[in-house]
Amino acid sequence: MNLSYRVYYIFIRNLYSYKRFIVPTFLVSLIEPLFYLVTFGIGMGAYIGYFGGKPYLYFLVPGVLVSSVMLTSSFECLYGTFVKIIHEKLYDSLIATPVSAEDAVAGDIAWGAFRGMISGTLMMAVAMVMGVMPASLPSVLLLLLLMILVGVMFASLAMIVTSFAPSFDFFNYYTELVITPMLFFSGVFFPLDKFPGWMKTLSEFMPLTHAVKISRAVYSGAYDSGLIWSLLVIVVLEAVAFAIGLKTMKRRLIK
Amino acid sequence: MKILVSARDLRKNYGSLTAVDGIAFEIREGECFGFLGPNGAGKTTTVKMIHCVSPVTSGTLIVNGLPAHINNRALKKMTGIIPQEITLDVDLTVYENLIIFSKFFDIPKREARKRIAELLKFVELEAKRDSKISELSTGMKRRLLVARALLNQPKLIVADEPTTGLDPQARHLIWQRLRQLKSEGATLILTTQYMEEAQQLCDRIVVMYQGKILKEGVPSKLVADEIGREVVEVRVPKEEDDRVVAQLSEYASGHERVGDTLYFYCRDGQGLMRKLVELDLHNYLTRPATLEDVFLKLTGRSLIE
Repeated sequence: MNLSYRVYYIFIRNLYSYKRFIVPTFLVSLIEPLFYLVTFGIGMGAYIGYFGGKPYLYFLVPGVLVSSVMLTSSFECLYGTFVKIIHEKLYDSLIATPVSAEDAVAGDIAWGAFRGMISGTLMMAVAMVMGVMPASLPSVLLLLLLMILVGVMFASLAMIVTSFAPSFDFFNYYTELVITPMLFFSGVFFPLDKFPGWMKTLSEFMPLTHAVKISRAVYSGAYDSGLIWSLLVIVVLEAVAFAIGLKTMKRRLIK
Repeated sequence: MKILVSARDLRKNYGSLTAVDGIAFEIREGECFGFLGPNGAGKTTTVKMIHCVSPVTSGTLIVNGLPAHINNRALKKMTGIIPQEITLDVDLTVYENLIIFSKFFDIPKREARKRIAELLKFVELEAKRDSKISELSTGMKRRLLVARALLNQPKLIVADEPTTGLDPQARHLIWQRLRQLKSEGATLILTTQYMEEAQQLCDRIVVMYQGKILKEGVPSKLVADEIGREVVEVRVPKEEDDRVVAQLSEYASGHERVGDTLYFYCRDGQGLMRKLVELDLHNYLTRPATLEDVFLKLTGRSLIE
């Protein structure tokens, strides 16, 4: 693997280009959580009432927060990166400079994770304005770290998909068959205890389930030892996906 | 003179397809070296191996004393690429394109600003400094690619069909700039399908076809050796070939039939033309031999698909 500090230059390049999209993306990042929190949180929450002694929103917010990181990081490294490879041929010019293919791909993964973190942070800010507070200040900092961790994981997974994508349509398989099911099977909107055994087992294989568990624990400040396993799942999957993503993208870029 | 690039038995396969089939060449420091050939001849693949973005399948390729390799950042640092396709960053302005690219080469910001100002002047794009890429014409985009390729003050400049799709004015401006760079000491590698471009710029060329080098040499000498000085094109029906050739061949060094035309290659077309008048053949054309004739003679005049 030929990685160097030049990853940072690709991140900076993305930051430059982001200047033009910053207003619309911030608006989307604000409106999307509001949509979730208002419809599910207030609408459905009124029926559900209290969850473990706290309003439903306290259950919902940590789950929606990591899902929003997942969606933003994934889309950035699916559509965003694909456009840069195929339509703009940007990668062709990058790899002709001292920036290696690995630097460029890692830079886009870092960028995807950063975008995810921004979405998650805006979501958290909205929740806090609505009175749904994390347990403490360290919780807030830990949540930011978690967002980066989750962002890099989903950005890397998306990068693997992009490295095999012949066209945009290919992404539908991933978003419809992997991303969307995860939203519903990972305990974002409701607890998983009432699921039959096989569905519980299935959800254990979904990285978002583990991200939601950790997020919820950090948000409420109620930790348990099971979280170590969840953290391990995320870190291992992240490292593997990152390494594979770099490898398969390099194979696509260098012929 | 120092050799900057040398290739021996250089090969490149894409799966079962052989793109470059065991070629050898040497490029001297300070010269302009051209790769000529029709589409799919292996020119672009060859230069991509030289500038380290495509791995060598087998053989040796040494650039500036180092083996060319995709991880060779030192070689990439001393090379400037003018790509065939317009690979500008459309999300950024003209200036941003250059400042970001200068970061990739670790050029300090102050120095980068100075170089960008000079380069925008060099390619006559000062007025477009803050324009978006979508607001530029094709000629301007190509000039910006030239400026971008020069940011790192490259020792070796690789221009892969740099004037494709340009009008004559824009093409001449690019040629002038490339000649200027060469006069300032840079080594230039050019791939092109335009014979005029090769004749304008190149000190030496190789003609490639189907992954192999067919001929190597100085453009004017190649024309003289392969064709002669003049070409006479005679349009006669194919049935009359035997008769016409029998009458004319003593005046020509060679001939070839393609489509509706017989081509005669001559040292001097005078004798042949007098004979044509005697034979009462009036549908003919005499013109100086060009590199295009060499190219077509070597790679075939019929369409290559």
